[in-house]
Amino acid sequence: MDYAISIFVNGIVQGSIYALMALGYSVIVGITGLVTFTHGEVIMMGAFASFYVFELFGNNILIGAVGSFIVCGILGIIIYKVCYERFLAAPRHIALICTIGASMMIKNLAQIVFGPNQKPMMGIVKNQLVKIGPVQLSVLQLVILAIVLILALGLSLFFSKTKYGVAMRAVSQDKTAASLMGLNVNANVLLGNIIGCGLAGVAGMLISVYYQAFQATMGGPLGMKAFSASVLGGLTDSRFAALGGLFLGIIENFGIAVSSASFRDIFAFIFLILILILKPQGFSKKGGIKL
Amino acid sequence: MSALLIAKNVSKHFGGLKAVDGVDMTIQEGDIFGIIGPNGAGKTTFFNICSGVYKPTHGEITFDDHSLVGQKPEQIARLGMARTFQNIRLFKYMSVLDNIFIGFQTKTRTELTDAILHTATYKDDERLIREEGLKVLDSLGLLPFKDTKAGNLSYGMQRKVEIARALALGPKLLLLDEPAAGMNQQEKQELMRFVIDLNKKGYTIALIEHDMRFVMNSCNRILVLNFGQKICEGTPEEVREDKGVNEAYFGKGLLVGRKAVAV
Amino acid sequence: MTQKLKAWFMGLPKALRILIAALLIVLVLLVPRFLTSSYIMGIVCRILLYCTLAGSLNVINGYTGQFSIGHAGFFAVGCYTTAVLSSHYGWNFWFTLPIAGILTAIIGLLVALPTFRMTGIYLSIVTLGFSEIIRLVALNWTGLTGGPLGIKGIPAPQFLGMNVRRAGDYYYIFLLFAVLFLLITARVLKSRIGRAWMSIREDQQAAQSLGVELVKYKAMNFAYGAFWAGLAGAIYAPYINYVDSNTFTLDEGFNILSMAIIGGMGTLGGPVLGSFVVNILNELLRPVSAYRLVVYGLLIVVMMWIRPQGLIGASDSMLANNRTGLDLLERLGFKKRKTA
Repeated sequence: MDYAISIFVNGIVQGSIYALMALGYSVIVGITGLVTFTHGEVIMMGAFASFYVFELFGNNILIGAVGSFIVCGILGIIIYKVCYERFLAAPRHIALICTIGASMMIKNLAQIVFGPNQKPMMGIVKNQLVKIGPVQLSVLQLVILAIVLILALGLSLFFSKTKYGVAMRAVSQDKTAASLMGLNVNANVLLGNIIGCGLAGVAGMLISVYYQAFQATMGGPLGMKAFSASVLGGLTDSRFAALGGLFLGIIENFGIAVSSASFRDIFAFIFLILILILKPQGFSKKGGIKL
Repeated sequence: MSALLIAKNVSKHFGGLKAVDGVDMTIQEGDIFGIIGPNGAGKTTFFNICSGVYKPTHGEITFDDHSLVGQKPEQIARLGMARTFQNIRLFKYMSVLDNIFIGFQTKTRTELTDAILHTATYKDDERLIREEGLKVLDSLGLLPFKDTKAGNLSYGMQRKVEIARALALGPKLLLLDEPAAGMNQQEKQELMRFVIDLNKKGYTIALIEHDMRFVMNSCNRILVLNFGQKICEGTPEEVREDKGVNEAYFGKGLLVGRKAVAV
Repeated sequence: MTQKLKAWFMGLPKALRILIAALLIVLVLLVPRFLTSSYIMGIVCRILLYCTLAGSLNVINGYTGQFSIGHAGFFAVGCYTTAVLSSHYGWNFWFTLPIAGILTAIIGLLVALPTFRMTGIYLSIVTLGFSEIIRLVALNWTGLTGGPLGIKGIPAPQFLGMNVRRAGDYYYIFLLFAVLFLLITARVLKSRIGRAWMSIREDQQAAQSLGVELVKYKAMNFAYGAFWAGLAGAIYAPYINYVDSNTFTLDEGFNILSMAIIGGMGTLGGPVLGSFVVNILNELLRPVSAYRLVVYGLLIVVMMWIRPQGLIGASDSMLANNRTGLDLLERLGFKKRKTA
């Protein structure tokens, strides 16, 4: 029973990181109206960015989070310029193929610059255990949960309470109407991409700190998991995307407990196929970002 | 004349919006049936329900004694209902002739093995689409344009090509969604004559139109919609006199003689 | 440009055309005599293999406008099928081929079927995931696939009593299948089926209104593409003689995709050119091989910016459009239309 609980806890923590990835993904898809293939690579770059931030500024997870958010936000600007800016009004497959090309470039440049091998991430948080009721958590796990929760809440407040967030939601629902209302569609799409990529960056840091390892090739499966989780929300509903991330984490951890760690990614795929068969449109009816 | 398309109490709700609300309609074989109403009345939505693009929230539709509810557009096309679209959905990058060829999809039977082995079925099909395709184009005066990229034609021409493509289906019922949109007076006259001609050749036609003269002079029966509801269904004279119709178009006010006067 | 070439050729007198065609055929058949270096022949063989492989992807992506990106998975299924059947069970190479093709088609279809009624991106992700899963399964199912050690010692195909092993001989097998693929696909494309496929690519809703059954034709198209990819994998197995999961990574899938996108989609010649360009670039970039995929990624982006249909892709299709047309989103099935 304890074992089951610890798997569950691990699943929730891992799931929360997936949730963060999915949040970023659904924001990007919601605001650009386009699906992207670059998300996994941005997550990977977040991991690398945080490593160097830790090297330069010390082992502080908050600084790491800020650093990876900024670096990936900048990456988001670049991706926007290359893949989205020119093609917002073009057939959707054009931007999509661009993001594939961009992801190829990012992934392979990373492999060239950083080498393809797995690298160890330093221990950032003390290795301490905390007991909450019947459950035993490490400080790291608590920190991860806290960071994801804060970011998710922050995102929600941003979209519901701030002028910029509301503008973004408008743009995500109907670009033409939004531009008629005087909103700068391009600027909002850019902002949305920055936020989505920034969140992905933080997720990259969290996952590499959690597993104490990161690798230039880690992006592919992670991007797919972000997508799979987002499918639960019809790709644009961030609430269900986050929920999907949590479910995915739990399913994955129970799955590998009964089979083997090398099957981890297969469970994400099964999760995806199941949703596609049972509830393909996800749980979101209307378009646009929902938070 | 038998009833070809019968709609009973058809509704389509988009969440809280009742785009179509309890509409009854009967189109008889041989009709030129007009559907009119102010903008946003639900006319195209109704068409979309008939052709299978939308599933009705409530109601029943039968076409040629087949129930249409739940059928996919391609199945309904196979039953013999062809349509054109409000914003002209031609295959813009293909030639006019290639557009027409696809119209013969339901009249041909080539499958994978036929195509690979060039069986008799394949040869017959290819011959059929060429012969019949050129015939259809000729009947509309489009033969000189057969190799032109469809997107390069004038708007009025594109309309004709779209209709020609729909005719290739050999449809029992032809739905035209605002066929005269974007046309000048002369083009509209031509189109009207063409529609009446088609009808004489045996096609049953239903059309959505805003141009009153067009509708009144070509249709033998008219359905009037407003806010998704049926206001009136009848002959052009009946519709012209109907109080509800006049109110819908001109607003509530005094009816002086035959003209409504705003109060 | 290819149109002009075709027009010029057809304008020549019949005897001249036959002569030119016969000359070309003889030249092609004698290639191994001229190019005796096994290194060069190896490249030629790769080019021919990818004509079929990228071509099969192009059938899916370029003709129905679907977007499959996990082609390495189909390549793998076909390759392993022949490898297992001929080295574990002693089957004759030629008999494994139809099995490999059909099995790949069936598996591909099962994977893609749930996505046909949905917007296009789901197919892309599913094929991507499928490709990775196949690789993982191959890596872990040691009983069937030899796991990380792979399958070795695949018997060489027999033809006219001879073992076909060297590049110079295997050339003919690759050539045969590339030609078969092109001829058969040309016939399918110039028929009611090809027309139905292209109508789905150009405007799905209009196609439906004309009676084109979406699911049937998308499924047929996908299965057809998967079949040939499986077949390509099958003929590849004895050639490399050592099949392991490392051949079938996501990168390989992107390699194939690059050929289709760069060479051109929506035409038969596009993937052929793409195969030439990418495989030759692969060799030229060997000293900096880590940069290969960076270069292809860049080329893909550049293509989308200036010529989205690819070098010799279909300029007379929606593939060539990278400018306007929000309503094209609906034609692709990437967005459902709401009219009131």
